[in-house]
Amino acid sequence: MQQTLRRNAPFWISLAAGIALWEIAGRSTSAAFMVPFSETMLRLWQLVTGGQFVAQFLDSAKLFLTGFFIALIVGAPLGLLLARVRWLRVGIEPYIMTLYATPMVALIPFILSLMGFGFVPKVLVVFLFAVFPVLYNTVEGARSIKPELIEVARSFRSTEWALWRDVMLPYTLPYTMTGVRQAIGRALVGMVAAEFFLSSTGLGQLIMGASQNFDTGGVFASIFVIAIIGVALMRLGLVIEQHFARWRQ
Amino acid sequence: MSGQSIGLAAPAAGRRRPKLPLAAGSFVPRLLCGLVILGLWEGVVRGWAPAYVAKPSTVALAIPHVIVDPKFLAATGNTLLAVAEGLAIALVLGTCLGLLMGRSVAVERFVRHYVNGFYAMPMIVVLPLFSLWFGYSSAARLATVVFAAVFSIIMNVADGARSVPREYLEVASSFRSSRLRMLYEIVLPAATPYLLAGFRLAAGRALIGAVVAEFFLAIGGLGYFILFNSRTYHHNEAFVGVLLLAAFGVGFELVVVWATRHFLPWYRREEK
Repeated sequence: MQQTLRRNAPFWISLAAGIALWEIAGRSTSAAFMVPFSETMLRLWQLVTGGQFVAQFLDSAKLFLTGFFIALIVGAPLGLLLARVRWLRVGIEPYIMTLYATPMVALIPFILSLMGFGFVPKVLVVFLFAVFPVLYNTVEGARSIKPELIEVARSFRSTEWALWRDVMLPYTLPYTMTGVRQAIGRALVGMVAAEFFLSSTGLGQLIMGASQNFDTGGVFASIFVIAIIGVALMRLGLVIEQHFARWRQ
Repeated sequence: MSGQSIGLAAPAAGRRRPKLPLAAGSFVPRLLCGLVILGLWEGVVRGWAPAYVAKPSTVALAIPHVIVDPKFLAATGNTLLAVAEGLAIALVLGTCLGLLMGRSVAVERFVRHYVNGFYAMPMIVVLPLFSLWFGYSSAARLATVVFAAVFSIIMNVADGARSVPREYLEVASSFRSSRLRMLYEIVLPAATPYLLAGFRLAAGRALIGAVVAEFFLAIGGLGYFILFNSRTYHHNEAFVGVLLLAAFGVGFELVVVWATRHFLPWYRREEK
């Protein structure tokens, strides 16, 4: 008990110092510019007890999860298929890389004018943000499979299923999980971007609404919540990645 | 991450890549796949979408008159300037903070969680706040670009500064080198590959930051050009802007990969 306390002491000290700094900075500037920590928490409490916050949060979560899982369901199997079909992989790789490096936000105006303001276009935005990291990293993993492994498996008359199960999957999965970690972060950006620029809902709307009403406390409270969500998701992604990285050489 | 592999898309990097024998025979499948993708896109749009939707043939027709359009050129210059300016600020700020964080345990302990936190935060959520602080101006865009770019540089430089072999520093200090000089002549060069890796990430994020800021703040630039044209149903013209953005995204990557290979040939990041 004492030991864990001592080990975590720097973390708590840095947290306390950061909060103190925020509090002081907030109190010594105008309220329209920055709101101290205490008032941000107060405003957050008001938002939570007001009920609207929970609804908005669930709305965002639904968008995030739908888009992210579709990206995963499409990206990972497609990547695996590319792992197996070599000529297709060679052919399509540069395009995947290009799309991976393209700022997907640039497509939002097109999606808006083609599909309007529903839930589907927003899911599409999250999907587009998330799918390329998964695909790109899976293909990257596919490239790392040594051809000898497949040759050996073949010469022992391995069935197609066994080849997938024992060679393809174990080799590409750790890379896919790196992609998953990246995709979690990108999907979060996509979620907020969709909520800003398509129909305004969820946490994005909470921020936008607060900013339009010059409610700086509300802006800080919502950004604070999104930052916490970002950190938590990043942590989750790292845990997932490291879990699978154990068998990666 | 995958620094080495990006070069695959670059014909210019070909001569430095003996480890990929299939590069020579890959041209035909690539061309075929590209043609199939374009063909599918063209077919789907022709068959099911309204006439104003961008398709390869009409986008190709739009390219010649868009790239000489002074409005388009001004918008491109505007955005690129903001990205360059923001990246320069982020580079200086990020390198200083990163070096400090990598070499001083106290600073590292205090700052680490905040840097990680800001890095994990989706950068565009700060836009409403920046629009309150800086108004709907290009200053808000610059702030967004810096915010988007700086944390990946800090994190990578700190990693690099931490990974300097201990012996180098011991030798330097036994020759009574000053701390500042050690930082400048040993730690900084050793951290340069990490700096470049961070810069590569930062450049992509900065580009996204600039485009999103232009959407949000409605200030002139490539993002706004895309937004305006797609709203007025000039999808083909708008798509030329997207192509240019994609070219910048890929271009940044290629330049950094090339720079790492060319200027830092001693650096190998165990084939990741």
